[in-house]
Amino acid sequence: MENILELQQVSKTFSRSDFTLDKISFSLPYGAIGGFVGENGAGKTTTIGCILNTIHKDSGTIKLFGREMQDADTDIREKIGVVYDGDNFPGFWTAKRLSQVMEGIYTQWDDGLFQKYLADFHLPPRQKIKDYSKGMTMKLAIAAALSHHPQLLILDEATSGLDPVMRDEMLDVFLEFVQEEDHSILLSSHITSDLEKIADYITFIHNGKLIMTVSKNDLVYNYAVMRCKESQFLALDPSDMIAFRKRDFQIDVLVSDGKKAQRKYKDVVVDHVSVDEIMLLLIKGERV
Amino acid sequence: MKGLLKNNLYATLSNAKVFSCFMLLFGLFAVALISQSLQIGYVMIGIIGFSVNAIAVAKNEFRSKWGKYKLTLPVKRAAIVKSLFFNQLIWLLAGPLFAGIELGLSCLFHGCSFDQRIDILSLFALGISMSLFMSAIFFPLFYAGGEERSEVFLIISLLCAFAIDFAMISAINQLLEPGIASIIAGAVILLASSLLAFALSYPLAVCIFRRKEY
Repeated sequence: MENILELQQVSKTFSRSDFTLDKISFSLPYGAIGGFVGENGAGKTTTIGCILNTIHKDSGTIKLFGREMQDADTDIREKIGVVYDGDNFPGFWTAKRLSQVMEGIYTQWDDGLFQKYLADFHLPPRQKIKDYSKGMTMKLAIAAALSHHPQLLILDEATSGLDPVMRDEMLDVFLEFVQEEDHSILLSSHITSDLEKIADYITFIHNGKLIMTVSKNDLVYNYAVMRCKESQFLALDPSDMIAFRKRDFQIDVLVSDGKKAQRKYKDVVVDHVSVDEIMLLLIKGERV
Repeated sequence: MKGLLKNNLYATLSNAKVFSCFMLLFGLFAVALISQSLQIGYVMIGIIGFSVNAIAVAKNEFRSKWGKYKLTLPVKRAAIVKSLFFNQLIWLLAGPLFAGIELGLSCLFHGCSFDQRIDILSLFALGISMSLFMSAIFFPLFYAGGEERSEVFLIISLLCAFAIDFAMISAINQLLEPGIASIIAGAVILLASSLLAFALSYPLAVCIFRRKEY
């Protein structure tokens, strides 16, 4: 399968903060939604910055639509829609003014489509953006990101300020967007329930290091957590474990094949695992 | 580029409207009174004031994530800087326009309050030159030092422009014999040198901006 986005061994060090993005590699196929999960400060925004060239990577390659994007490659950026968390646009603008500016920037800006999104999202076009609620500003940013017919949407914590109802509405918009088979979304979030709903692949990142990338099907059907007592834990084969976390009365063990683990360790309880739990096990637990 | 220019224009416009109201009231006052110093003040404040307004656009970009968002748009970083330089030039026309109308009306009602009409040329040249030097110093500093220090960079740029222009005027007065020719030569030197600085500042600002991370 061809990839719309491909990162190979991408590294970036910030000497002042001692933070290092360490050899990040993952890819996003055409027609897929990729979730990018990690705690605050894990390196999600830095990775997205490297992808979008707002941050200069130290090493590695990033290919968008099969090409490395340089500052001069405006044709690639024509095909990308971006939404950042928070205020994407100046507060003194109105949605109407935003459209007037974007019209002069994107060759494929579709004012009709933008107006449709404004109506669908109940955004008043003549109200100043600073008077919008947080949810409304995020909806406006999503409308703007979609209105130039992009192929790739990059969303950095775009749903984090929204209430569950609004988030659900936006997730439906994203699912509609990827109905076109050459459209993809990279969605960074620490709200793992959103990713469980829509992502095809989930990439976990912690302390600047990529922990793993897993398809959601794999996660739902194969990944599992074993609830072990101390004695059961000691009897486990380390090669079956991905990570474990000691709790008060049990040890949770993350395994990549729950059915195999159930067959092998008959007396151990094996549960389905959520993205949230995987994240906690990978970040707070010990990786094997 | 068209969109970037629109963006800058909209960003400058709301402050410029307020400043225009001030200039209008100040202009009425300056026309009503017969005072050469008031007219000198009006011309300088008008020309430099609109430029300061336009410079504030760069700072406002970073009040929201718009400054960072712009980098993800299909425009080159050089085009972003170029649009800011163009914006400066556009707003550099507003000051002389106000000043010209005020001086014209004042001449009409009270006659020319300057010793020689050629002095008006010097005054305009000085205002435009200070605005250009200020912009030429501000943008590289702004991109190098970061948006959070933009106020101090603006003050530094304005003071440096003031110092450069007055140092040049002193040098011209010492080197050239007094007379109309020296006044014209002085005005030409001020305008040419500030335009050169403005033009050289653009590639420097682009070079710095290309290295910046957001």
